[in-house]
Amino acid sequence: MAYGSFPMCMQCATCSMVASCLCRALKFLSKRDSRIKAEALRWPEGKSLRLEIPGARGFTITGGKTGFRKLPQDAPGDVTIRFKSPADAFRVFTGQLSVAQAYAQHRFTLRGAMALAMPFVRCVDIAEGYLFPAILSRRILKRPPKKEVCAARVYAAVLFGR
Amino acid sequence: MSSYYEFKLPAKILSGDGALEHIPHELEGFGVQAPLLLSDQGLERAGLVKIVLAALRQGGMKAKEVFCRIPPDSSIQVVNDVAALFREKGCDSLIALGGGSVIDTAKGVSMILSQGGDDLLLHSGCEVLPQGDHVPFAAIPTTAGTGSEATIVAVVANPAEKVKLEFLSYHLLPDIAVLDPRMTETLPPRITASTGFDALVHAIEAATCLQRNPVSDAFAEKAMEQIVQNLPLAVRSGRDKKARMALANGSLLAGAAFSNSMVGLVHAIGHALGGVCHVAHGDAMTILLPAVMKHNLEQCAPRYGELLLPLAGPERYASTPEEWRSAQTISVLVELRQQLSDLSGLPTTLKETGKVTPDDFPAIARTALDDGAIIVNPAEADYDDIIAILEEVWE
Repeated sequence: MAYGSFPMCMQCATCSMVASCLCRALKFLSKRDSRIKAEALRWPEGKSLRLEIPGARGFTITGGKTGFRKLPQDAPGDVTIRFKSPADAFRVFTGQLSVAQAYAQHRFTLRGAMALAMPFVRCVDIAEGYLFPAILSRRILKRPPKKEVCAARVYAAVLFGR
Repeated sequence: MSSYYEFKLPAKILSGDGALEHIPHELEGFGVQAPLLLSDQGLERAGLVKIVLAALRQGGMKAKEVFCRIPPDSSIQVVNDVAALFREKGCDSLIALGGGSVIDTAKGVSMILSQGGDDLLLHSGCEVLPQGDHVPFAAIPTTAGTGSEATIVAVVANPAEKVKLEFLSYHLLPDIAVLDPRMTETLPPRITASTGFDALVHAIEAATCLQRNPVSDAFAEKAMEQIVQNLPLAVRSGRDKKARMALANGSLLAGAAFSNSMVGLVHAIGHALGGVCHVAHGDAMTILLPAVMKHNLEQCAPRYGELLLPLAGPERYASTPEEWRSAQTISVLVELRQQLSDLSGLPTTLKETGKVTPDDFPAIARTALDDGAIIVNPAEADYDDIIAILEEVWE
């Protein structure tokens, strides 16, 4: 039996979908939200970060002057965050745990320099502030971020890839 | 309190008079007999390396090789070179004698030897290493501060990229932690105060950060008791063996606590102060602790209130109304810091260190934001928060 009442295949499908949404949200917000834009601008040139979820599709991104950019699915990362199980990723992607709480509970491993993962964590926290309902953000984030862009525009970018 | 936790402390602890002489027996238990002894030049000059070599001889063991050129901030290159030396000389185990830099170097060497290869850079990260080939490893701390003899953490500089790399793995824990009073009794008062306060910060952050759990709480609270009751004594009278051993045990307990629940914002800013301005780690901890506790107060007030008991004792705890306890906890720590400062000249502001100017604050804040310790701090801390804390502790 998988974690909670969700079968494992549903958890994996949900994780793949939310990971894709998160990646699109980061790309969009890196052009519209001043904080994520600044993180993308400061991103060390040529470095990439890979998010891996066992049994589900993750993504690899890199930053730069034009914001965050998704790299090919099989691109390696200079830093790799890997959830220990799909159930761990499911907890994070459905707003049951923040990234900080997941780290504190050993829900993922990190290969590479922590200093490169921290900007990504900050960006995910901000993106979650847009993607999750306020009640969830308040519950899991230490300080829910202020929205600089209308959440509906972020959802539109996530759904239509623009 | 974290709803899920993991805890590991496999190190056998040898604590007290004659602990050093038991190292050969313990290493023989692992089937090894040719250790590489690592230390630094200061400890060699102070005669501590000789004491350890004599203790090994008493147990019928001889160090296969002795390497005493580990710098205060060890680097990837030093670790790689020592791993090559270990292989070249045919050593089969490690003994690290020193503070955080020496013990963390030994952890790095152990990582390369157990995983194969010749470059530590390939292994940075959190919980990514498999067990690998086991290299028996004894750690002998010469300060009561870092707790590195009981932690899964190693910090090693990468000068090429001007960063300190963190390595977190349960396989980094030493097999044997050796606390012998001879190793700390000559530590000067100023360093005793600074490193002792570092250990206290380990305990306080371990007891309050997001990863805290029932086992780490038990270790952290006992560590606080031991350190608060004995640190002023050890600073005043370095040869007080009882106080020295209590501090060494407190430091180990705090190390075991934070190894399993991590540290928070005090360390994130402290690491940045070290990296950007070369402020000594213990000094940075001393300066930052009360200001960061005030920053965390809203999230941590009940927990800070509970810590008044191990920090100030049952009488002061019982006589303080519940709603005042958290503020009292911070007051107790400020009083202790002032007492240590009066005894040893420990700095209490950034200005007093003489190494920082307000112009450095932006670089310090940016570096602190990218430090892994910030993630488990109970309260959010952004750039502006860190600048505010630095301004508060400036003078």
